[in-house]
Amino acid sequence: MNPLDDKMRWLEKAGDVDAKAPQEMHGLLVEFDSPETLLDACRKVRDAGYTKWDALTPFPVHGIDEAMGIRMTILPWLALGAGLTGLAIAFGLQIFTNGIDYPFLVSGKPLISVPAQIPVAFELTVLFAAFTTFFGMLVLNFLPEVFHPLFRAKRFPRMTADRFGIYIEAKDPLFNRQQAELLFTRLGATGVEPVLSRTGRAPMPVMIHGVGLTLTLLALIPPALIVKSRYSKSDKPRIHIIQDMDFQERYKTQSAHPLLPRGAASMEPVAGTIARGELNEDDHMYRGMAGDEFVRGFPMALTESVLNRGQRQFAIYCAPCHGLTGVGDGPIARRADRLAEGTWVAPTSFHTELVLEQAEGQIFHTITNGVRTMKPYAAQIEVADRWAIVAYVRALQRSQRASIDDVPPDIRAQLAQ
Amino acid sequence: MTPPPSAASDPMQHASTAPLKVEQVTLSGSTMGLAPKMMLLGLVTLGAGLLLDLVAGPKGLYHFAHAYLLGYFFCLTIALGALIFVCLQRLTKAGWSVVIRRLAELIASTMPALAILAIPVLVFMHQLYPWTHAELVENDAILLGKQAYLNMPFFIGRVAVYFAVWIWIARKMLTLSLRQDESGDVELTRKAERLSAPAVILFALTVTFAGFDLLMSLDPHWFSTIYGVYVFAGSMVGFLSVAILGVKFLQSRGVLRDVVTVEHFHDLGKLLFGFTMFWGYIAFSQFMLIWYANIPEETIWFEHRMSHGWGWVSLILLFGHFVIPFGGLLSRHVKRDARGLVFWAAWQLVMHLVDIYWLIMPALNLAHGKVGAPGYAPALHAGFPLHVLDVLAVVGFGALFVGLVMRSMRGVNLVPLKDPRLAEARGFHNF
Amino acid sequence: MVTITQRVATLDNTSDDPRQRQPLILGNNDYTSITEKVCGVVEDPKVKKAWLIAFLIAVSLTGMLFALVGYLIVTGVGVWGNQIPVAWGWPIVNFVFWVGIGHAGTLISAILYLFRQNWRTSINRFAEAMTIFAVVCAGLFPGIHVGRAWLAYWLFPIPNQMLMWPQFRSPLLWDVFAVGTYASVSTVFWYMGMIPDLATIRDRAKHPLRRMLYGVLAMGWRGSARHWHRYERAYLLLAGLATPLVLSVHTIVSFDFAVSQLPGWHTTIFPPYFVAGAIFSGFAMVVTLAIPARAFFGMKDIITIRHLENMNKIILATGMMVGYAYAMEFFVAWYSGNEFEQFAFINRATGPYAWAYWIMVSCNVISPQIFWFKKARTSIPIMLVIAIFVNIGMWFERFVITISTLNRDFLPSSWGYFRPTLVDLGMLVGSFGLFFTLFLLFLRFLPMIAMAEVKSILPRPNGHGEAH
Repeated sequence: MNPLDDKMRWLEKAGDVDAKAPQEMHGLLVEFDSPETLLDACRKVRDAGYTKWDALTPFPVHGIDEAMGIRMTILPWLALGAGLTGLAIAFGLQIFTNGIDYPFLVSGKPLISVPAQIPVAFELTVLFAAFTTFFGMLVLNFLPEVFHPLFRAKRFPRMTADRFGIYIEAKDPLFNRQQAELLFTRLGATGVEPVLSRTGRAPMPVMIHGVGLTLTLLALIPPALIVKSRYSKSDKPRIHIIQDMDFQERYKTQSAHPLLPRGAASMEPVAGTIARGELNEDDHMYRGMAGDEFVRGFPMALTESVLNRGQRQFAIYCAPCHGLTGVGDGPIARRADRLAEGTWVAPTSFHTELVLEQAEGQIFHTITNGVRTMKPYAAQIEVADRWAIVAYVRALQRSQRASIDDVPPDIRAQLAQ
Repeated sequence: MTPPPSAASDPMQHASTAPLKVEQVTLSGSTMGLAPKMMLLGLVTLGAGLLLDLVAGPKGLYHFAHAYLLGYFFCLTIALGALIFVCLQRLTKAGWSVVIRRLAELIASTMPALAILAIPVLVFMHQLYPWTHAELVENDAILLGKQAYLNMPFFIGRVAVYFAVWIWIARKMLTLSLRQDESGDVELTRKAERLSAPAVILFALTVTFAGFDLLMSLDPHWFSTIYGVYVFAGSMVGFLSVAILGVKFLQSRGVLRDVVTVEHFHDLGKLLFGFTMFWGYIAFSQFMLIWYANIPEETIWFEHRMSHGWGWVSLILLFGHFVIPFGGLLSRHVKRDARGLVFWAAWQLVMHLVDIYWLIMPALNLAHGKVGAPGYAPALHAGFPLHVLDVLAVVGFGALFVGLVMRSMRGVNLVPLKDPRLAEARGFHNF
Repeated sequence: MVTITQRVATLDNTSDDPRQRQPLILGNNDYTSITEKVCGVVEDPKVKKAWLIAFLIAVSLTGMLFALVGYLIVTGVGVWGNQIPVAWGWPIVNFVFWVGIGHAGTLISAILYLFRQNWRTSINRFAEAMTIFAVVCAGLFPGIHVGRAWLAYWLFPIPNQMLMWPQFRSPLLWDVFAVGTYASVSTVFWYMGMIPDLATIRDRAKHPLRRMLYGVLAMGWRGSARHWHRYERAYLLLAGLATPLVLSVHTIVSFDFAVSQLPGWHTTIFPPYFVAGAIFSGFAMVVTLAIPARAFFGMKDIITIRHLENMNKIILATGMMVGYAYAMEFFVAWYSGNEFEQFAFINRATGPYAWAYWIMVSCNVISPQIFWFKKARTSIPIMLVIAIFVNIGMWFERFVITISTLNRDFLPSSWGYFRPTLVDLGMLVGSFGLFFTLFLLFLRFLPMIAMAEVKSILPRPNGHGEAH
């Protein structure tokens, strides 16, 4: 490989050193052929006080750390810190995304389910720690470092295969070439070689600037397109990439259908179909009728709570037109009168003979199906509530035609005073 | 890859090839004298517990039965851990552990005594196991379905088989090892290695079913396929703690000094760390799957261990048995530091006890007093029952077990002197 | 301790003499010969015909795989046999199968390293490569089985305009993190292990282009002892991290099944059972690959019979663990009194998929039993056959677990028989093609044996060695 021959001269141009700059001594490379002699030599070098030196081995030699006085690296601490960071990020991520930002319950699990968060937390801990270990090792070793004067040494290539070496840099204050060569020969070195390096750095090829500029400009295109699409409007139709998802071959509700009855994709239920909970066999309860006649009386017991409920529901649904007393002076009726558009039919007062004589079932029927311009209230008011309202209407009617006998005795006594 | 600091300048030189002195490998008379004292203390304490419950406790000896099972199972797991350790080290032809192996063999050799101590558990079957109550089983479809397995004669027979297997393996391993002390015959090592593989299989099955029988059937409606592995994991943590503490104790009495070095302790620490993680993994698997599927017939078991004060014990177990020792044992330095390792070994031993406690004691709350009640309805009425009986049982069994182990060391070399791998064990270095 | 005079020139190191540890590397190898042997494969200017034929077959199968994947994406998931009730079919089975195979590599690299088993050095590079390629094959299936594969990025917590996040309470999402972490960490570990060996190849390279390529990959590694110190520390850390990682990955895969409520799936022993099964199938695959590779590339004295025997012992041990899990499931199904659970297991053995069940049992539990005999453990033909059986058995185990439980669960009116389609079959076969394509490329262009690690366990010229 070295000295460089014609085939490889272009490599030198690709390096970071200026081939025309003068060379200087970078260090001394000493070769050994067994780990034992190497270890021995290392101890001597360490004890002699050298500081800028290294050993080169094709595999990690057991015992060399102590022989060279290498101190324990901080890498495990970096890994620990990174692992804890990963752990925190994992829990934070899951708590935030599933518990705070878009909380939704899934199969009854709590929003912040710690047991379910552990697998991802574990993985992220390991991921962060592992990547930090690897990249930390590279960074602490100053790798990648593909240009180093050692790569040009003649004896270097075998250092990664089957030979061992010690390399002392010329920058070391104790560096003395002759002394070193003597020492190492005594220690069983199989060879000593000075390693030279060029003092100047090669100039950057002009082409690199052009290439760099072009690549930067090209790399700006995607973000530019994104910005453009986010801040501009377009009235062109959307691009449908997945045709059979966006234009599905199925009939949508309410669309036309050539084969089904009514020409519609949504069919009516079979005649006589009754939904669950809507069998409604009790005519008294559900229609207020017995046969064709309106029925008198209530289908359930009248209690204070029923009447209270009726009062409440009356106030909500009926009072706007009929007024709170049932005479027909609710705010809607009054406004309609004022507007006098000619379309309004005033609500009948409950206190007229007509209504007083009506059966309870008929009042129920009126609420359910409406009458004249009053619309049906069946959709808004449940059956039980409608009966409660009927009961309250009766109470209202009685309130305008009460006699002193209707008043309880104790209150009657107070009135007398 | 820094080797530990040593006097030798060349780290590759195998340390301590010096011949072993008698004091290094046998227990001195004064230390041996502790053995009968400990055993007596143990028996007396247990007796005091029995008396206390008979005289001052509610009728039926329910609490003493559970406390007895607690102390007993705790010691049994240590012995089982020792036995599996011996088998695994033999199976893997390990070199480093040869200096520890004799101690493990001796701990395992207490099996016959533990078999005798199992008899009270069988005597207390009615207090411990609801399925021994015919009235309860008659009215319970699930228990009726299990009757072919959970019935007293089969149960007793199974327990006898477990102990027969364990006693046989323990004795064989110890005998082969002791015989080698005299003859140095290499064939004995091969025999032990050949025995170890079927031994491990028998062990796996017997420990699993012993766990099912003695512990899982305390709550006979509940089941978990990983239970056997859980018991195994806990046993290993318990044994490794005891091994570390035991060797340290022996070394304080002059035995095993310079034989078991910081390198071996480092390895024991690594194994303790590894099995701590393994225990956490198994415990989490069991919990997570049952929690996630949320099926009431499975979650009830954890429900019992999360209410009425038991929630605190569960948290102590999670953090104390796994999270904290994980952090504590992570560092290489702690594993190589005498005080650090002893601290964590003691800690894990206590946590192993908490684990067994957590497995057994909630069963005390089940409807034992209401045996006549139709159906089987676990009812929590007592809450978290830390009681002086539990302390007495644990202390009693602890002392008894230590005494038994020490007694087994009488006149025995604590290092297999002629094991072919002894030199390798004594000289080995860690990363 | 093995001294230089005891290095045996013969090819048998399977003796079990307790007095001395057997040499791991045979044939009077030293640092130079190891380098020559391993680099020789990479530096060979001629392409070996057998390799080329195998490679062409593998590439065509890969082509078939990609064609089928394209067909799937364009047409839809209906091209598979998945139906109701068996909504998880071969894709999931293949996924779990390949992920499981990957585990052996990490186990050999990381766990055996922590246990100081020096014999791992002959096979760890090989096995780690196998891991990466198996995980690639595995990752393909979940990616394409989601239906709208182009939206698979929704699985990652990337802020989006729908303001939606992944559902972290689902084991299928944990899989994304687990397999993703596993793939990246394994790649890092594998690559880091290769750096010194790539440097060796770089330094032997004569052609400048070759030197530059391997030089870039080697990152300028120069064997500095100070670098080695940090490197070794990083290796130990990665081994310590990869060990729980490999356990966690197949545990999380097992959670896919075990967190459900289905009988046959929901048992607490699934995590360790799956991990044991993964190691089981992974080692079988390593044996299947190692036997032809060592013969073909002349590595018999580096990957010796002892290495294979050790692997066979692990296969036996993990096979017994899998058998233990089968027994536990069966016993506790009965013990639980849960009639659905009981039925699930009886159905496995006697129902419509009984044929698959018995293939599984005979391949996984019965066939490895032959490894109790040393002759079987050390016989190449027998171990190759058993290893292949084990892989077949483990595929069927995943098949039995997935399909038999879905085929017949709680409500008989929902039962339905599953049949795979040709696309299912084609993708399984094609995934083997992908695996072997990548693996054959690895064998040809990257150092298949960890030279630096093997050298570090060779007995030293002065007699200090650490063989096991």
